[in-house]
Amino acid sequence: MASRTVAKDIITLRGSAAIVSEFFGYAANSILYNRGVYPEESFVKVKKYGLPMLLTEDEGVKTFLANLTAQLSEWLEAGKLQRVVLVIMSKATSEVLERWNFSIETDCEVVEKGVSREKSDKEIMREIQAIMRQIASSITYLPCLDEPCIFDVLAYTDKDVAVPFTWVESDPKLIANPQMVKLHSFDTKIHKVDTLVSYKNDEWDEQ
Amino acid sequence: MAETEIEKITTIDPETEFLASKIRNGNEWETFKENVRPLKRGRNVNLLNHALNSHTDNELKKSLMEQRRKLIEAIEEYQGDDPLLPWIQCIKWVQEAFPPGGDSSGLVVIYEQCVRAFWHSELYKDDLRYLKVWLEYADNCFDADVIYAFLDANGIGKTHSIFYISYALHLESKNKFKAANQMMELGISRNAQPVDKLKAAYRQFFARSMARPIAIDDAVEKLAPTRSFGTVLAKGENRAPLSILNSNRDPCAKNDRTRAAPLSIYKDSADTGDTDPHKPDLSHSWHTLGARADRNKENNAIPGKWKSYKIPQRPGTRTGGATASAFIPVFVDEECQDSQSKKAEGCKSSNLKIRQEDDKELKRETELLRKNPLRNFPQNSLPR
Repeated sequence: MASRTVAKDIITLRGSAAIVSEFFGYAANSILYNRGVYPEESFVKVKKYGLPMLLTEDEGVKTFLANLTAQLSEWLEAGKLQRVVLVIMSKATSEVLERWNFSIETDCEVVEKGVSREKSDKEIMREIQAIMRQIASSITYLPCLDEPCIFDVLAYTDKDVAVPFTWVESDPKLIANPQMVKLHSFDTKIHKVDTLVSYKNDEWDEQ
Repeated sequence: MAETEIEKITTIDPETEFLASKIRNGNEWETFKENVRPLKRGRNVNLLNHALNSHTDNELKKSLMEQRRKLIEAIEEYQGDDPLLPWIQCIKWVQEAFPPGGDSSGLVVIYEQCVRAFWHSELYKDDLRYLKVWLEYADNCFDADVIYAFLDANGIGKTHSIFYISYALHLESKNKFKAANQMMELGISRNAQPVDKLKAAYRQFFARSMARPIAIDDAVEKLAPTRSFGTVLAKGENRAPLSILNSNRDPCAKNDRTRAAPLSIYKDSADTGDTDPHKPDLSHSWHTLGARADRNKENNAIPGKWKSYKIPQRPGTRTGGATASAFIPVFVDEECQDSQSKKAEGCKSSNLKIRQEDDKELKRETELLRKNPLRNFPQNSLPR
């Protein structure tokens, strides 16, 4: 009697944390490129998620994002991360112009009991691909950033998390009366990531 | 218990609340992204999606046109003490409701009618909203020089830093760096507000100026030598001396870039039986080839960075090329022309032509305004 082996797409907590933290690294690079926070010549094209993606070659930003994704991965594995926000601010005035909000829901059962879940890599990649496409298309409604900008990353964690020494407590850096747009979400069956961008709705009588 | 629950809800930030709600934005903005012209101030996504749906839904398209008609009527009927307000509302709505922009939106015509309605009004000379309408109008015209000159001459927006920044950027884009610098300095000396923004823009302009290899300005540009393209070779593969090539030209013409002199072609005189002055003298053949360093002397120059150097180009100095404003005159039957001109005259009587005009008329008027933004202004108002 013939037998066959069926490979299941098993996702562990560590694997899911790696997927989500890597996604955030690529999403951050894509945002910094598409919103012109850094000059386009400082980015290099790579293929990821079946799409041409752009990664920064600026050493400072590379180091910052590498440390960030490593820390996020650690928090995700512990089930302590609730939200990551990439904030774009005016360099001159530090006024918050845009907030890219990645909200994370973690399956508590997986964290507590160490069980795994099933979902194909292909399906997860398709969902991430849709978000990346939306990030690139967002220039259709986002305001033009016609001044030099800087970015910062806020992590919303559980209260009992010890603050690493490279991080500082921060105010939420919210935008007053923002315009908000929900983007697609993706789900590894362990971590569900909802994406939202909020931006300053400029008025005619504002300088 | 209930109180703390309410307190909890009120402290939730708007983003969390929005994510928790089941509100969906719709993704038309993504599907039709090629048809959306980005707006400086950003867009309202719900309005954008509604407008993009009208591409496929005729009923929605009709409702958009109806809404535009109502907004234009509201301008005529306005009785309040801020007559600019309904214009601003109309402009903002048209920008949102016609995402591709383009001539059929009638936006350029609305800009023009708005700025023309208040250019002499003391009430709006320093109104930032009014200045922004002018600046957006300038952005939509082929050459904004005339608009900036008009604003300057009439003292419109001179207390706002955005005027000086926009004017300077416009001048910089036309390689008038000295004038751009003077404009920035003028704004700072007039203490245009917010002065911090102006100073920051000036610093950026200064940094860009420093990054430029050579300060190219009008005066310098005129003296720049003409570049001769291609290598002119004699029959014996020797380069003809430049003095011979240029001997039939006006000596001044060499430096005058604006004079479109044809390229002189070297004529070989070998056919006529004359001896060729450029043929190598074979009686003195080389006895030694020289050292390697002598032979490779062309390769000694250290390569420079090409990327950072920009060749100064002046618009409109090329010969033979079609200019942006050049267009093919379309033949119009005389009978049709008469009826068209009557129709246009009828529309002119109304202050707000946009309501009566069909798409063709609107596009025609838009095209004319793009070429000559102040065509409907009284002659005595224009800067000399």
